Order: sequence, then structure tokens, then C-alpha cells
Amino acid sequence: MKTPVVTQKRILRDAVISIFIYALPVVLMLLSFKISGQRPWKDKPATTIHK
Amino acid sequence: MLVHIETIFRNLNGWGLPVIMLLVGIIEFAYGLYENHWTKNEKVLDIVCFVVPKIVVRPFVAYVGLLLFPHLLPDAKNAFAWVPFWWGFAIIAVADDLTQYWYHRLHHQLPWLWRFHRTHHSAPYMGMAMASRQNIIYTIFFSQIYLTTTLVYLGLGYPVLFVTGVKALITTGAHSSIKWDKPFYTIKWLKPVGWVMERLISTPATHHAHHADTSDDGVGYYKGNFGNMFFIWDLIFGTGIITRQYPSGYGIKHYKQEEWYAQFMWPIFKSKKEGSELAANGPMVGDALPPEAPAVVAGS
Repeated sequence: MKTPVVTQKRILRDAVISIFIYALPVVLMLLSFKISGQRPWKDKPATTIHK
Repeated sequence: MLVHIETIFRNLNGWGLPVIMLLVGIIEFAYGLYENHWTKNEKVLDIVCFVVPKIVVRPFVAYVGLLLFPHLLPDAKNAFAWVPFWWGFAIIAVADDLTQYWYHRLHHQLPWLWRFHRTHHSAPYMGMAMASRQNIIYTIFFSQIYLTTTLVYLGLGYPVLFVTGVKALITTGAHSSIKWDKPFYTIKWLKPVGWVMERLISTPATHHAHHADTSDDGVGYYKGNFGNMFFIWDLIFGTGIITRQYPSGYGIKHYKQEEWYAQFMWPIFKSKKEGSELAANGPMVGDALPPEAPAVVAGS
């Protein structure tokens, strides 16, 4: 049994849209850092066990 | 205050949610919400599916993952611990739930995947009993456990704790046979909240429609409403239908009460029921339309 072509096309279209949705919160976070001038990766170094 | 909230979520992700599910399940059972559908075969299947992932699959994946990561990515431990809490929360909520939307949607739209998800839909009732009901292969490849383990290693364990807690409450709430969302559609001052809620998250009404055994009643929509925590994915991709009613029946029309072990372990164990999707020579999709008829596509 095959997946209908129209379904295949929608899956592909929606998968492409999803890439942008995945990236959206990351992009917004970086944008907020740029606007506010925050550099949390410098201010608050990762807590690591490698001492 | 924050410490108390943290404690609540830590307990929720540990013993809290299973206890809530058990208590709500007892209430559902006591009120007869499973009607006469909860046969011995269904009971065994539901209980096995409730217990095995919690005590075997998830702890095993978490243990192996946290054992492997230090060797595979020794410098990545806590690499993203600097991410502010609320941004971490948003990133994880989207990554986790959108991935699960796709995992779920593909199991419905790609015929060769359907039988791995069928067990979740074969229950002719809704409720806590069937909320965890999944084939073992579906559970093993469930993206959330791998994503969570990875994010904990990368230093995002704290937002993961809250996202998984909130998500677990919403998804189990959407499966409940207690129609807790009804007041949001009937009480005047709650209606605006209901309007937002049914678009943002899965509710019993929209998720019950996904578990309907037919779409002939104008309520059921088993070829859509794939969202788990968020319903917005269904709105964005056109795979959702918002309803404020509940379907006339649940499950799948061609259900043959297949043996619990076949439903849990297919394709390792096959069903002996003639014509079953889970039988050795069974059809890939039991209610497939004849080739000449146009297929109805979710979201159309």
C-alpha cells in the first residue's frame, strides 16, 4: 500500500516549514541577546565537572 | 516559591504522574467511564504498557545515554547550561513537541508505520488506562526519551524538567475520559479561555476526536488532530479540526480484539486472528480504501 502522492507532497512541504519553526525560538533568543547586549555564555560559564 | 514549584515538578516526573494517572484511572473506572469495554485482554495490555516503559525502556535509555555521552561528546557536557531558563523552556517545548507531532503524524500517514501505532488506537474507550498504551517498538523509538537524555547532558536538564512535567499533564489530561474541558465551552466567562486553550493545547474534545472510530458522526477526526502538547501544529499544517463535542465511539472499526502480546510486541509476536492487521498475512491497513477510490487525506 502506497502513501497518496498528495500526502507525500504535504509531508514534504510541512517538513520544510518545520525547519523554520524549530529554528524560531533559537533565532529569537539570539536576537534578544543582540538587542539587549547580553552575553550569557560569557557571563555565566557552564557548570562543568572538568576542573 | 520557586523551590516549591521545582520540588513539585521533580516529584511529578518521578512518582507523581504515575500516581495521578492511577488515581484518575480509579475515578474513571468507579464512574463506569470504561463501560463494559475493559475486558481481561485490554486490562493486561494497558497494564503492561503502563509499567514496562517506566521501569525498563526509559531508565535503560537514560542510563545508556548518560554513560555513552561522556565518551562520545566529552566537551559538550553542560555546554548549553548558560541558556536562560525561559528561552531553554521555549526551545525545548518546540523541539520536543514538534518532533512528537511528526512522529505521530507519520505513523498515521505512512501505511507501513501504522501497525506500530495501532495499539494506541485499538482501545474502544478513552482514559488513563489507555493513555500509555503503545506497541513496544513505538515506545523504543519515541523521540522524547532520546531528546530529553541529550538535553540533560548538554546542561538543559532544568527546563527539561518543567517542559516534560507540563507536557505530561496536558497529554494525559487530553486522554482522560473525564471531560474537564466542557466548562470552558459552556460557562460564559470561561469561554474566551476555552477559545485560546483549544487552539493552543490538546483538549479532551480535540484529542478524543482523534481517537474516534468514525468520522461519520461529524465529530470524529481520526485522520488528523495529531498534536500532543500543542494543538497549534495541527492549525499551522492544516491537519486539525477543532470540536467542542465528543465522538460517538472510540477505537478502530476493524478491531479484532487481538491478543495483548501481539499488540504490545508486533512484529515480534503476531496475532492469530484471521484477517487482522497484526496477523502474519494480515493487511497493512485494515480499512484501506480500494485502489480506484480517492484516498481521504488528513487536513483536506
